[in-house]
Amino acid sequence: MTRVISILFWLSLAAVLAFITLPLLVVVAASFSPTATVTFQPFEWTFRWYGDLLSNRWLDPFLTSLKIATVVAATSGVLGLLAAYCIVYERLPGSDVLMSYLLSPLSVPQIVKGVAIVLFLSMIGFQGFLGTPALIAAHVVLALPFVTRMVATSLANFDANLDRAAQILGAGKLQRIRHVLLPMIKPGVLSGVTFAFIISFNNIPLSVFLVRPGDSTLPITVINYLEYSLDPVMAAVNVASMAFILVVIFLFEKIGGFSAQIHGGSK
Amino acid sequence: MSSLALDSSPPRTRRRFTGWFSYLALSPSLVVLAIFFALPMGIMIGMSFADPQTLSPTLDNYHRFLTDGLSLAGFCRTAIMSLLVAVCVTALGYPVAYFLARSRTRWRAVVFALALSPELAGVVLRTYGWLIILEDRGFINDVLLYLGLIASPLPLSKNLFAVVVGLTHVVLPFGILSLMTSIQGIDPNLERAAQMLGASRLSVIRFIVLPLSVPGIVSSMLIAFTMAASAYATPALLGGAGFKVLATMIYEQVLFYINWPFASVMAISLLVMMLAISFAGVRYESRRRLRTAGAKGDN
Amino acid sequence: MGTKRCFALILSAAFVTQANVAGAETLVLNSYGGPYEAIIQERIIKPFEERHGIDVVYDAVGSAQQDYAKIKATNGRPGFDVAVMTASQSLQGCKDGLLEKLAVAEIPNLASLSPGLSSAAGPCGAVHEVQYLSLLYRTDKLTSAPVSWADLLDPQLTGKIILPTFQNIMAVYLLEMMSLSNGGDLIDNIDPGFDAMAKVSAQSVGFEQSSAILESYVRDGSVWAMPFWNGRAQLLVDEGVPVDYIRPREGTIPLIATLNIPVGAANKDAAVKFIDFFLEKSSQEGWVTGYRVGSARTDIDVPAELQRRQVQSVAGDKSLHLPDLMLLQAKLPEWAERWERDVVPHAN
Repeated sequence: MTRVISILFWLSLAAVLAFITLPLLVVVAASFSPTATVTFQPFEWTFRWYGDLLSNRWLDPFLTSLKIATVVAATSGVLGLLAAYCIVYERLPGSDVLMSYLLSPLSVPQIVKGVAIVLFLSMIGFQGFLGTPALIAAHVVLALPFVTRMVATSLANFDANLDRAAQILGAGKLQRIRHVLLPMIKPGVLSGVTFAFIISFNNIPLSVFLVRPGDSTLPITVINYLEYSLDPVMAAVNVASMAFILVVIFLFEKIGGFSAQIHGGSK
Repeated sequence: MSSLALDSSPPRTRRRFTGWFSYLALSPSLVVLAIFFALPMGIMIGMSFADPQTLSPTLDNYHRFLTDGLSLAGFCRTAIMSLLVAVCVTALGYPVAYFLARSRTRWRAVVFALALSPELAGVVLRTYGWLIILEDRGFINDVLLYLGLIASPLPLSKNLFAVVVGLTHVVLPFGILSLMTSIQGIDPNLERAAQMLGASRLSVIRFIVLPLSVPGIVSSMLIAFTMAASAYATPALLGGAGFKVLATMIYEQVLFYINWPFASVMAISLLVMMLAISFAGVRYESRRRLRTAGAKGDN
Repeated sequence: MGTKRCFALILSAAFVTQANVAGAETLVLNSYGGPYEAIIQERIIKPFEERHGIDVVYDAVGSAQQDYAKIKATNGRPGFDVAVMTASQSLQGCKDGLLEKLAVAEIPNLASLSPGLSSAAGPCGAVHEVQYLSLLYRTDKLTSAPVSWADLLDPQLTGKIILPTFQNIMAVYLLEMMSLSNGGDLIDNIDPGFDAMAKVSAQSVGFEQSSAILESYVRDGSVWAMPFWNGRAQLLVDEGVPVDYIRPREGTIPLIATLNIPVGAANKDAAVKFIDFFLEKSSQEGWVTGYRVGSARTDIDVPAELQRRQVQSVAGDKSLHLPDLMLLQAKLPEWAERWERDVVPHAN
């Protein structure tokens, strides 16, 4: 009986892992598909779809996404760090209320936020704001609560005795922040920034309302393309974009030990 | 220099200065959220009470939502889909989470990476993957047709099934994480003790692990439900015209019918669904705390 | 340190490249993807870029209806300079004041278009092609060629039909023809159309939005018949796919495709140049031979074989029914809801 259960357990584990990896493997396989429709012929493959990626059609949205994600990561990183510092470390009066205000966008679905922002821009006649500026603003709203929460968590774990020790040794406030506090919470901040970069780079539900022709992000360009074709270029774009994200994570990891914390956020 | 001067000044002044500085440092975040979140949300709620043509105040949009049949059907489809996703995510995630919480072998790292790495790939890649697997001319139908097991393609895409499969895949990593955290919190000695007292593996799982991981199960279902209900790309691509949910219907109202008031009502209905589910979760959690606190008090 | 430099390099590359693009004069053209895109790039856009030195940014997003919605939602500033739409949106946009009126003074080639077709599109649309809704079918699968729209209800086509979504004007035109063939009319008495569409829907495997995806079903033989624009149908025939198409005996509805400029377009000069270029005799010849459609110019020199199955003019052709496009446009929101309720649920 025990054996049967244990076999069942291993089987289910393997099945779930297969379920998780299947679509990724299929996309990678499809990206080498020799024909213009996606087919699975094991012994024929081509790199030609990857060559197509170098056209402006894919490069422009990629660069737009990269630009937006960078600005969003930097902005929400700085704002989130300042906010979390003030609330958690300085313990401002009313910090609970402020914190729930800062985290409140998390309880609103992205598509609802998207509708609200596009309505707002249209009502005040700021349609010209659509495209990169609106995308940056919306992605910051999306990323800021995550960053704030991640930094706040690492600030809460910060051992105040270290700070006191430094103070006793005569370190001034700025010195303590720079040499004691910041190094200690650096992993938290970097995870937050990486996370902000990834959610901006991969975002769809908000971006879908805010892009502009000629000023569109990569994921939106991809879903628009899927309206016309499922061809292997799609697979190549997706694989390349995933590879890029892995490179970004690797770089952040090298800078500051970004660990398995990327899952601080739940949406 | 100024910081040194600050430190030697009387505590009250320093406190006040730090206060001012803090509010100043905090203000960009507050302002950004006010302009691009709070204000738009307010406008959207106001818009839901506006007549689509004249913008004069009315309840007609809510009336239409409740009576046109299509909208409520979309609402129910969203709820059913999200519930199914929540159940699938939790059921599929449980064995993985249990393994991750208990294994001490080097396989743990491999499984961890396999289970969570898809999250980095983004939703489009995974949805596209399922699209080419489930499509009428997709991978599965290709294989089945080739083997002669079916005569015509099985309807695997553009329906509830496809959307649930796709969303389960998207949400699974989050479910696994929350289940894993919860199972890790169960003292392994309890399991060992039960086994020593002669309980079978099955009864250990059924009477010890499962009951104790109920909070993890609940939170995994909550996360999965809310993520599924608000997903856009996966239902849009895998559900198509045949399976519309609130998210895709909202998109249509905004970008195709340009009926902003009605889009606002739909968006609000989605928000209400999510808040109700989260509220139920919070209620459950606080009750459980009360119960455990009570149980401890009895000892 | 190396990592940081690598980072900096990637990021600065992103900003620098983006800045460069802004240099040359550009035109943002909103159009369609798939085969349409391949042909328009080769026949029209490349020669245009070469002649005028203007970069064309190609935006293959959305159907004509969705494009117009975008123009409306942004109050005439959708971010594209030229939209490829149809006479319906041209008329509506002119009335709403969201599309530019096009003048012969700026676009001399407008004068060469057939007056009947031009007036059908109103002063804001430049008719650059004409097609009609045809019935496309697989010659190798159907035992006999269809002759009527009612043949979509043939039992041998059960599960072998694919339909356009309501966002695609093709669906509206099919609904109209179903209404006409079943005793209804084009605008007011549409009920017979919905009744018939419910039955067609029950025959179908579902709905797809774009022509490119729709035709992929016929191409691989999983679907045997569907409504389709005749030019696109002809392309499939010429490609050697075992298909043919008919103009059913009840007649059909012409698709008058237009080029339009939103009032808030950023590059109006380039837009005007583009439209004039597209309407030029040589461009029209290139387009007609490339995309296998009819032209509103009567003076083009193309093989008679190509012209044979095309629409030359709307007036005088008894088999062409052109509904009052403004009235039709006004009916769309109501019909869309009805379509969701009465047609979509019947599909398999």
